[in-house]
Amino acid sequence: MKSPPFEYHRAGSAAEAAALLGELGFDARILAGGQSLIPLMNLRLAAPAYLVDITRAPDLAGIGADGGGLHIGAAARQRTVELHTDTLATAPVLSDAISNAGQVPVRHQGTVVGSIAHADPSAEVPAAFKAQGGTVTAQGSGGTREIPSEDFFEGYFTTALAEGELVTAVTVDAWPAGTGHGFLEFSVTAESWPIALAAVLIHTSGGKIDRASVVLGGVAEVPLRRPEAEAILVGSTPSAEAFEAAAEAAAAGIEPLSDSFGSGAYRKKLARVLTRRALTTAAERAGGKA
Amino acid sequence: MSTHDITVTVNGTATSASVEARRSLADFLRHDLGLVGTHIGCEQGACGACTVLIGGRSVRSCIMFAVQADGAEIQTIESLAPGADLHPLQEAFRRHQGLQCGFCTPGMLLRGLELISDNPDLTAEEAREGISSNMCRCTGYQYIVDAVLDAAAEMRAEED
Amino acid sequence: MTIPKVRQHPEHLEWVGKSIPRVEDPKFLRGRGNYIDDYEVPNMLEVAVARSTMAHAKILSIDTSAAEAVPGVVAIVTSENVTDHVNPMPDFGPSPDKHTWYCLAVDKVRYMGEGVAVVAATSRAVAEDAAELIEVTYEPLEPLTDMLEALEEDAPLIHEALGSNIPFHRKFTFGDVDGDFAAADVIVRDTLHWGRSGGQPLETVGAVADYDAATGMMTIHVNSMSFTHFLFLLANTLRVPSNKLDLQPHPSGGSFGAKFFEVKTATIAAMMARITGRPVKFMQDRLDNIANGDHHGSDRYYEVELAAKADGTLLSTRYKVVDNYGAYIQFGVGQHGNSLAQAVGPYRMSSIGYDLTAVLTNKCQQGAYRGFGSEVGNWILERMVDLMALELGMDPVDIRRMNFIQPDQFPYFIPTGNVYDSGDYEAVLNKTMELSDYKGWRKRQAEMRAEGRHVGIGVCTCQERSVFSATEFWFWFDEPVAAPVTSAPESVTLKVDAMGAVTATLYSNASWGNSPETMVAQFVAEELGIKPEDVSVVYAGSNQGMPATGPGGSRFTIMVGGAVEGASQSIRAKAAKIAAHLLEANEDDLVWEEGGFAVRGSPDQRKELAEIALAAHMFKHSLPEEIETGLEASHVQDHPYTTMPNPERTNLGVFYPFVGHASHVVVVEVDPETGRVEFLDYAAVHDCGTVVNPRSVGGQVIGGTVQGLGSTLYEEFLYDEDGVLRTPSFAEYLIPSALDSPTLRVGHNETPSPYTPYGIKGGGEAGRMMAPSAICAAIDDALGIRIRRLPATPERIVEMVDAANS
Repeated sequence: MKSPPFEYHRAGSAAEAAALLGELGFDARILAGGQSLIPLMNLRLAAPAYLVDITRAPDLAGIGADGGGLHIGAAARQRTVELHTDTLATAPVLSDAISNAGQVPVRHQGTVVGSIAHADPSAEVPAAFKAQGGTVTAQGSGGTREIPSEDFFEGYFTTALAEGELVTAVTVDAWPAGTGHGFLEFSVTAESWPIALAAVLIHTSGGKIDRASVVLGGVAEVPLRRPEAEAILVGSTPSAEAFEAAAEAAAAGIEPLSDSFGSGAYRKKLARVLTRRALTTAAERAGGKA
Repeated sequence: MSTHDITVTVNGTATSASVEARRSLADFLRHDLGLVGTHIGCEQGACGACTVLIGGRSVRSCIMFAVQADGAEIQTIESLAPGADLHPLQEAFRRHQGLQCGFCTPGMLLRGLELISDNPDLTAEEAREGISSNMCRCTGYQYIVDAVLDAAAEMRAEED
Repeated sequence: MTIPKVRQHPEHLEWVGKSIPRVEDPKFLRGRGNYIDDYEVPNMLEVAVARSTMAHAKILSIDTSAAEAVPGVVAIVTSENVTDHVNPMPDFGPSPDKHTWYCLAVDKVRYMGEGVAVVAATSRAVAEDAAELIEVTYEPLEPLTDMLEALEEDAPLIHEALGSNIPFHRKFTFGDVDGDFAAADVIVRDTLHWGRSGGQPLETVGAVADYDAATGMMTIHVNSMSFTHFLFLLANTLRVPSNKLDLQPHPSGGSFGAKFFEVKTATIAAMMARITGRPVKFMQDRLDNIANGDHHGSDRYYEVELAAKADGTLLSTRYKVVDNYGAYIQFGVGQHGNSLAQAVGPYRMSSIGYDLTAVLTNKCQQGAYRGFGSEVGNWILERMVDLMALELGMDPVDIRRMNFIQPDQFPYFIPTGNVYDSGDYEAVLNKTMELSDYKGWRKRQAEMRAEGRHVGIGVCTCQERSVFSATEFWFWFDEPVAAPVTSAPESVTLKVDAMGAVTATLYSNASWGNSPETMVAQFVAEELGIKPEDVSVVYAGSNQGMPATGPGGSRFTIMVGGAVEGASQSIRAKAAKIAAHLLEANEDDLVWEEGGFAVRGSPDQRKELAEIALAAHMFKHSLPEEIETGLEASHVQDHPYTTMPNPERTNLGVFYPFVGHASHVVVVEVDPETGRVEFLDYAAVHDCGTVVNPRSVGGQVIGGTVQGLGSTLYEEFLYDEDGVLRTPSFAEYLIPSALDSPTLRVGHNETPSPYTPYGIKGGGEAGRMMAPSAICAAIDDALGIRIRRLPATPERIVEMVDAANS
């Protein structure tokens, strides 16, 4: 299991990376931590002709929060983001998601943005990012643009990025005080890939839920928002009944595929259980903050 | 295909080499530097036999290209006991029989070292959770947990 | 062979029984294990195997032109010309000519992952680049993975020469099965499936071969193959004279049976070394190992009936077994001999019916996995005993206890012919009950259930047979009825050098994560009165070797113990002669104590072993004429206790005589909505006779238990109906992590064997042979379900809960 040959390039800045992508063409891939890409290359399931390493670009390294949310540069490592005080304050659902993603040594090397750009629909980080909401900053030879998280994931390992574009950063929107989050996944062993997961946020005000986000992973070709569940939650009082109804709505209408990890029917069942439990946790946290 | 000149500091010694871009860090350490204590079990980042420390942080050297490590400070198992005496963590593994076939052991030791350095007072639960990053097929992990805890206690005592 | 004499074990042992630190560990702790992949030689080539992408297909053509053009490629062998270079692989199965097995597929591929070509190149990466470019044109054939479908008349044939997919079928009757069933008050029946898991050691199999055209010597460095005794078979495969084959052993990074006799890797390396005239390394990667490693575990379907009296007295068991061997059958049905060695478990039962059908399908072939099939037999029997307890409304502990073979009944011959040498099952059970606080847990369970928690407790009481004899390779067949009993020996050489330092030489590839060097050091220390750390243990290559069989069937510690004992006796006998001369005393007046000979009654008049050794090495001409220079002895330990089967095969004779026992009590909590199983408590008490190193045995028990947990809950080589292997890597084939593993409380009970050195019984496989039974019983108890199929994955548990609720 050795990687096929490729040509390695190192970008000193976001602009240089964009220029290299433009120059090298469709067979070039961004290399950040490589924790998703390199296993695929070793398995010879991916064979890019060119890799552009962006981890040494100083303008991609940052992480920090301001009024606009939590900004995460494309070179920021998962473990750094997971433990960062700004993440814990601004986007704890992301921290929870990262803590479930891979093992610590993998998170030392892997990046948050890399996981989002890889767009594995079963992965933790994309689901949490979509659940909290935010924007993806994409840069190509033609300049930069912002893509809402809602529009970024288009299919299995497929995103709204155009050819020659890379993600330079993501911004995770801040939610107001009174927000609670829940992130739960089910995997067969503690360290194996999740079969299904739920990332939820709710905001309560005056004892009622006035904002809710429910996103499922592992059940569709993208991290899947469940508007029917959110509609049930908004306006209701946090309760076991409301969460069960929302969980049922979240699982209704999804048609997950079967694979060696689990059947579609099992995934659907898990989606419901995990959503209900994640909402229960989120409500406790929302209450605690209020 | 491309080759690159890299400089890395391995176990305190700066080394320059020319590597093919696809050369994994694990293969580089094993075959180019002869540091065969870093083992290869799966080459997909699952098992952790290839764990090394870069800047004191554990990484999987089988899913990292050597060229990515250019400029890095790398620590492998060979650094733990350069002389006659074993490192306290190695001694604890020996005392508790925290190994059988020995194949996961270098990765476990380096990961254990990181855990203790991050949290010298770690609990059994924290030790177990910490080493769950690395597979062991022989021991069922229990004596490894014992060894990590015992070594942490010993290293705390040495600090005092 | 007659029954061996009953030994009087010494009252006091100095080193046997102590948890000394392992002799093996310092090198492993330093990363200097000298594993096979650490071994490199100049000018060495590396190999990659192109594997079949089809489960079942005729090979129409293979185009290697693109691969040959890759710079660095030196040689390619394919399915089309492999038979020009090597003979078929060693095969202990029935009629090997009807399911011939080569190191590459010939004419057709029979499972996804079977090798179709080998590339030798200047690096592994280049070899893989080229292997990817080999184009195989296949004509797909109908895939067959289901073992029951394989029995059907119109099933596709895996081996046309066989004429069916059944390489072996035989119905054995041991005792009066029909009579016992007629006398029964209660008969419980069930169908049970044991899924296919495997050892999956973290280190894969590798070999470095070097052929010297000048001498004709083929040297292969290996981390597999413990059968020094049977290496002439490999010589035949490689077409080299048996005295021109030298295997050099390297420590294995785990085996659990999976490297026991893995010959394909060495065969491929050796073939390419001879073709290229250069040293060749073949190091399997994980994909090779999972898909094409020849060592998947048992894969069985059972229809079982258990007969009992109304009071719970067990009478007889009838088994109808189908075993899915995959595409080839290298060990025959030896995995079932392991089941039959302890077919009645620890219970008094007077008969066994065993109808065995082996089938071939489009899966990778089976090999050995810790328990070698006996773990399956344990699980089946314990499942049935639990079912009987349920049927009779009895406590699962009570039904076991009342049926135990009693201490005064040993040696106890079971209906299959095998003997249980000794045991005290009640003592083990009582210790386990105490260690686990069984009664306390039953009380807490009731409280937790009242809170709505799904908590279950499972108990098992199982056997661990140890030290196979090779009769079980052939007693399946009518002929050769009069074949002599083979031995499966183990040898050691002890050399006391001129300074009195002792070197022990081992002759099998013995280091697999067990503790061969520690065991030998403890034995030598015990026998020669020195310290274990002063013993040097080395391994000889096969060409300098003596008969040896290596670790397998929990045999090594006992057998090497006998070898050390025998060699030590010879050393002491010669040393006594020298000491008598040096002390000017009569040999009969000497006593051996504390590492030297002293004149009885005059402890000051003594010679230490080192003084004797110096004289033996340096001063031959000062010694009596008949004494040769040196102080060295070898001993071949033959199997101590094996007898012939009868011609009708209604009695298989003694073939696995040293039988340990264990009881596990497991407490789990199960989440019925997700199927997750969490361990609240785990207690295990094992009786493997006299314990040589308690910490090492504890480690084997815990590690084996966690492997058993994996086989129970999720580990499975999963093939779909198209023959596609759905678990090709560690991303899909799941192995328990630390967070998935319970913390065990381990206890030992010691009922010495009357027939082995110090009374040792084997213990290396024990954990995996017990855990599935206890864990399944606990899950059943938690949820009110009955597990009939392993692995009981979370999804299958949820399905069972849903079915029970609907």
